[in-house]
Amino acid sequence: MAETSSSSDLNPKAAAMLLAPLTIVMLLVFVYPLITTAWTSIHPAGYSLEAYAELTHSTLFLKTLTTTFEISISGTLVSLLLGFPVAMHLAVQPPRRRTGYLILVMLPFWTSILVKSFALTVVFGNQGLVNQLLGFVSGGAINLPMMYNRVGVIIGMINFLLPFMVLSILGSLLSQDPVLVRAAETMGAGPLRIFRRIILPLSMPGVVAGILINMTLSIGMYITPALLGGRQDMMVANLVDFYTRQTLDWTAASATAMVLLAISGCLVALLGRIRGAQGLSGAAA
Amino acid sequence: MNGASVSFGLNRRAISIAAWACYIFLLLPTLVVIPISFGNPGQIEFPPRQFSFVLYHQFFSDPAWWGALIQSLGVAIATTCLSLCLAVPAAYALARSKLAGRKLLRGLFMMPMLVPVVVLGLGLYLQYSSWGLLDTTAGLVVAHVTLAVPFIMVSVMSGLGHADVALETVALIMGASRTRIFFRVVLPQLSAAIAVGALFAFLTSLDEVVVAYFVTGTTTMTLPVKMYSAIRWELSPVIAAVSTLLTVVSLAIALGIIALQRPTEAHS
Repeated sequence: MAETSSSSDLNPKAAAMLLAPLTIVMLLVFVYPLITTAWTSIHPAGYSLEAYAELTHSTLFLKTLTTTFEISISGTLVSLLLGFPVAMHLAVQPPRRRTGYLILVMLPFWTSILVKSFALTVVFGNQGLVNQLLGFVSGGAINLPMMYNRVGVIIGMINFLLPFMVLSILGSLLSQDPVLVRAAETMGAGPLRIFRRIILPLSMPGVVAGILINMTLSIGMYITPALLGGRQDMMVANLVDFYTRQTLDWTAASATAMVLLAISGCLVALLGRIRGAQGLSGAAA
Repeated sequence: MNGASVSFGLNRRAISIAAWACYIFLLLPTLVVIPISFGNPGQIEFPPRQFSFVLYHQFFSDPAWWGALIQSLGVAIATTCLSLCLAVPAAYALARSKLAGRKLLRGLFMMPMLVPVVVLGLGLYLQYSSWGLLDTTAGLVVAHVTLAVPFIMVSVMSGLGHADVALETVALIMGASRTRIFFRVVLPQLSAAIAVGALFAFLTSLDEVVVAYFVTGTTTMTLPVKMYSAIRWELSPVIAAVSTLLTVVSLAIALGIIALQRPTEAHS
């Protein structure tokens, strides 16, 4: 009673009443559909893991899974290579100017993925800006195929993933003590050595978190491969839709969705173990 | 460190150039659609050869586009209201009680952010087909609520973290009822956090494609779904006008969020 901090706490009954409506809605419209999906995947006629067994023999599924990993990993790696310099550029700016540059990074973050996909086809398409520019510079007509193929998906992916990578690395760069760099300089260490021995190891938590966030986001990607990829670049998310709509095989669709859920679940679990990871919500807010 | 040619151990100019290339790559798509939207109705061209509002006129005079916009706005408003009514009390209860299982519930409310949308889309499709909620506005709104809730949770929980608990205690000692405290003491302090959460919820719903693509049909088609199929099948220049409108709305919402978030951060 004397404790002021706990006297302002709600009693359990009141708390439960406030929590009940949202909990019920989330259970009904979020958890229950996921259970239904799991159920559908093992219950075509009687209980069996047949659908999963079929997936392991399906060339379409295996090819799609391989494509998904190839695209996600290459997208993440390019995003890391591009994101690191951007994060370093942001980290050395004085705070006010950093805010300005951060808006440049966040602006596309707020743009609809559909808008970006459409715009990317205009910029990187066959008659797009980049090809026009290259043609103008070289004097001839240039048609580098950069859209509706693997390159297109990866370009779209990076455009979407880069802000997450930058924010994640920036966090770990800003938490480093600048005295370390100055000390190393005084002791005669060259720029490359400083980068390799001090900056890089200290930014590892941010780098790993960025990689995991990018992988989680790209594994489940649906819009980008559908709009910017070719026929050969279907990803697992598109396969779920393909089974649902084209072949009307809900069991296969559910099993595929469960595999996707398991993969992203593992990535999220790993992300949760990274110290200093802001997670997806931190990056979004 | 400012005067030095090295920063973080690497050449500063090289980093600048690399960073600017990335800024341009990130910005270009957002900016390129605007000039196209004022261009020729015949084909997508950049830069456009003439300036006109023809594409906007086409957008607003076509009931398929216009109707999709109205549907999207309606769904987004309903999603925002419903998710606020559900999530704000829940966030308050999570922050101000020692109820067993709080962590579990918090995890449940945050989960939609981490599950691939396609998986949820399929789940809702399967579930809705047996509940008769496919192609209904109500079904779509509730689906969007689950996606919007995590954003409101993040914002309101952080707002509650900054709020002054002592004020609530004082009000309690002075004999105010719980309900009165919630509306007169807690809510006013949370106004900025709630507004941020509401804008996030609105934008999440307005921009959402994948779940909507699974659960809507022709009668409840939202703007993003219509846009998705237009980009995929027609690639008509009207998309540039739609894109510009969407971009303007998203950026206005983003600026609103940034403006609202700044004072809260300065406070802490």
